[in-house]
Amino acid sequence: MSALAAAAQEFGPGLLVAALAAPLVVLAVVLSPKLRFAALAMSPLAPLPALAAAILAIGGAPFEGELPGLRMSFRLDLPGAILLAAAALVWIAASVFARADWTGRPNAERFAVSWLLTMAGSLGVFVAADLLTFYLVYALVSVPAYYLIADDEDAGSSRAGGVYLAFTLIGEAVLLIAFVMLAAGEPGGSLDIRAVVDALPASPWRDAALALLILGFGMKIALAPLNGWMPLAYAAAPIPAAAVLSGAAVKAGVIGLIRFLPLGAALPGWGEALAWAGFVSAFYGVAIGLTQRDPKTILAYSSISQMGVIAAVLGLGLAGADQNAASDAAFYAANHVLVKAALFLSVGVAAALTGRGRSPALIVAAALALSLGGLPLTGGALAKLAVKGTLGDGVAGAVAAASAAATTALMLHFFIRLARSDNDGKAASPQRILSWLALAFASMLVPWLMFPAVGGDLADALATATLWDAIWPMLIGAALAAGLWALGEPLPRIPAGDIVVAQEAAFRASAPPLGAAFERLDWRLRQWPAAGLSLLTIALALAAAGFASR
Amino acid sequence: MTEGASAFAATAGGSLLALPILVPAAGVLLSFLLGGRQAERIALALMPVQFGFAVAIASLIWRSGQPLVYVLGGYAPPLGIALRADGFSAVMLVTTSLIMPAAGLYARTNFATPNDGTERRAPLVFWTLLQAIQAALSLIFLGGDLFNLYVALELLTFAAAPLVCLDGRPETLAAALRYLMFALFGALFYLLGVALLYGAYGTLDIVLLSRQIRAEPAVWLAAGLMTAGLLAKTALFPLHLWLPPAHANAPAAASAVLSGLVVKGSFFLIVRLWFNVLPALPNAVPGAILAALGSAAILAGSALALRQERLKLLIAYSTVAQIGYLFLMFPLASGPWSAEAFSGGVMQALSHAFAKAAMFLSAGLIAESLGHDRIAGLGGAGRAMPVTFLALGLGGLSLMGLPPSGGFAAKWLLMKASIEAGQWVWAVVMLAGGLLAGGYLYRVLAPALSGNRPRLKSPPRRSRENVALALALAAVLLAFAPPTFFAFLQIGRPAAGAALR
Repeated sequence: MSALAAAAQEFGPGLLVAALAAPLVVLAVVLSPKLRFAALAMSPLAPLPALAAAILAIGGAPFEGELPGLRMSFRLDLPGAILLAAAALVWIAASVFARADWTGRPNAERFAVSWLLTMAGSLGVFVAADLLTFYLVYALVSVPAYYLIADDEDAGSSRAGGVYLAFTLIGEAVLLIAFVMLAAGEPGGSLDIRAVVDALPASPWRDAALALLILGFGMKIALAPLNGWMPLAYAAAPIPAAAVLSGAAVKAGVIGLIRFLPLGAALPGWGEALAWAGFVSAFYGVAIGLTQRDPKTILAYSSISQMGVIAAVLGLGLAGADQNAASDAAFYAANHVLVKAALFLSVGVAAALTGRGRSPALIVAAALALSLGGLPLTGGALAKLAVKGTLGDGVAGAVAAASAAATTALMLHFFIRLARSDNDGKAASPQRILSWLALAFASMLVPWLMFPAVGGDLADALATATLWDAIWPMLIGAALAAGLWALGEPLPRIPAGDIVVAQEAAFRASAPPLGAAFERLDWRLRQWPAAGLSLLTIALALAAAGFASR
Repeated sequence: MTEGASAFAATAGGSLLALPILVPAAGVLLSFLLGGRQAERIALALMPVQFGFAVAIASLIWRSGQPLVYVLGGYAPPLGIALRADGFSAVMLVTTSLIMPAAGLYARTNFATPNDGTERRAPLVFWTLLQAIQAALSLIFLGGDLFNLYVALELLTFAAAPLVCLDGRPETLAAALRYLMFALFGALFYLLGVALLYGAYGTLDIVLLSRQIRAEPAVWLAAGLMTAGLLAKTALFPLHLWLPPAHANAPAAASAVLSGLVVKGSFFLIVRLWFNVLPALPNAVPGAILAALGSAAILAGSALALRQERLKLLIAYSTVAQIGYLFLMFPLASGPWSAEAFSGGVMQALSHAFAKAAMFLSAGLIAESLGHDRIAGLGGAGRAMPVTFLALGLGGLSLMGLPPSGGFAAKWLLMKASIEAGQWVWAVVMLAGGLLAGGYLYRVLAPALSGNRPRLKSPPRRSRENVALALALAAVLLAFAPPTFFAFLQIGRPAAGAALR
């Protein structure tokens, strides 16, 4: 047994509890007015236990832990650990970046509370081992984030927050009934996620549960046409909040799909349906993203597209009973955690820099952007390599290559928009620049460190054939972007959030009349004659019902 | 038949059962004798005693694993009257004995007798009626005889209705009268059903009746009348005409008791009727009717809560909705999932009691501090009084059924039972109810934590905020109830629909 594996068994269980507890401890201190400032300075340290746990699990062996008094159980396996490591790094960097936001602002306290609750949930989803613990941390990563999005209190933020909350609560409701079905389908009464998912293929509620799981987690990762909240939310959120939401928090949906889809059982129907939904999202996100002008909105559409690719990989894994799809998709997602968060921080840094500092910053941003397209030697190239096995060489492989080309075009569009964006007048603090650079560096380095853990071969990543496979789709994408640019951005302007505009209109058209109808009904029923009649009717109906069921 | 013996002979420690009824009753009499200022002291001094007895009863039941029985005067039913306490009775007793002192501590500010010794009507009435409600609820939770329970039910109504109009404003008088009148109709229906049962079987003892009862027209008519009468007092939609004005106009401490506890009293009797008196009869269709009414309550109550302009009315309509959840356990009462459904229903009763009491107390603090409770005027209020809004929000967490909260545990159990029973429609209704609850809480909490702080007339006192917060935390802590708690709830519950004669 290696030293790391021994340490994993020794310290792992405690670290799992600490991973969830550390942000909550800092939160408790934040609530005390005297210690608030010191606690905020500590917040970048809160993800450290999670990071340590992830390193032990990747380098050593998976482990479990529990809090029997609270009936919570935790487990860290390879896919969870890969994502946890990336998420913890993003939370550390973004917490340093955000400290400038925390001091001296009217909303500082509210922001800090939401930040730490979201952090606890975001780290917790990767380690939760049973249905109830998962549902709790999933609610934590989802609901408090409302105040990260609605932080600015202008009309746009309020709208984005409201739309986000509606999607979140509907998603939670869908998942609740799915989880109840999972629990009901496990004959032994266990709530352990592995046990209920193992029992799922034979459960009488299999199809309903799978449909609801895909719907619920699909809303979290913004699969089209449930994607509308994401561009609104990321554009409205302050830069560090957008970074953690787009990088870390959204992966709650990815780990949900990884954990709850029975990847070992071949379910071609469901798998292929999910794969197609994912690929449609992958291109839809790029297509709408190319019509956008705001760099943050473009990044949000790129997230919709990238989450689509991950859903497609998991769908193909489900169709083909490919259990490696879990860690491959986790690796792809982990790269996205780091890169997308670093890109959002780039938007903040680029807006703060002028003159000489701006050009080097833009070069770093360009490298990050192209990593998503699969630029050789970046984490993005490794990510594409990791999922190559699951995608295969057939139709899915070709579609994936086309999606890499499309992503390259979108990221070049982003880069141009970023380069042309205005200075926001805020000075770039050294704290912000350093945390951004550190995260950018981590997003280049960390995928290389984790690649062997998912069975990747570093020599393979540097082979000429692999390099060429990565480059030709990017050249097509670059040509597409250049073409669009040369034509003077001919695409129509589509409002950010695209389909959500129609969804909001449908809601506004139906909700008030429905509410008014309920009010009229209530008024009628609350008149004395109506209430008396109801009383008599209920008495007789109950009597008749009992009599009839003899 | 060992069970037969234990149902009519006093168990060890059974005499304890008389105390939760006698102690507050004695408090009522003493308060009348000694007058206004002493009434407050007597009420607050007796409440910890009451809590002690409730816990003692619960621990006796837990240790023996059997219901406690006490036979008044030593005459066994049908001649005499029995008091019985099962797991459900015990948790309701404990819950009542926790929420009552919370409401009492909160109310001290509003219902103090001035130091100059002048006696005022409102304090004397408030403290006396609070104790009368506690005595009536104890009798409801412990009574083993349907006529005795009728008396308890009437005592409960007559103690509760005047609390609505303590401040004497005309609209509160109208609300109290409306409450009293409709409760009176309900009582008549109940009494009619009791008379029918007595005519058919010559006894009103719950255990004796449950053994003799047959599926015959008189029984079903009695069940229909009694249930409808109790539904009127529980304000299950569409019999809720009295609840929103009564609960929204009462003083906050009274609203907490009315919404948290008093409506649970008549609900408790419906459970007694269907689970203890009638369990041997086929009850799928009546159960489905009750759950359908409950579903209508959830959807209509939540939708109406969304449209209220005043915070207290919003919370009152949310009570209309939350009462609906209680009735989803009835169609799930027979089958392997019945224990889950029963636990879910009881958990809903408990968590709503704590959560709603916390919310009404918070709403009272908000109204006192701002001078109004218009939802449109709550902007920034959460920043001025964070602890109050934390209590409101944590109570809301339970109403929405988000974890960790007792409301989540209740929803989980009820949903699981309805999925297993193939009656998924109730699960869908519960989801919709949770979403609508999210909507009406969003309407309150989102503006309250945004914008500039309003100017407060007077900041809320920290001790009163803490009372509301403690109740809200109790609703949250219910989420961590261990499996032994649910085993405890099953003590004394007859297997429903088990045998058909």
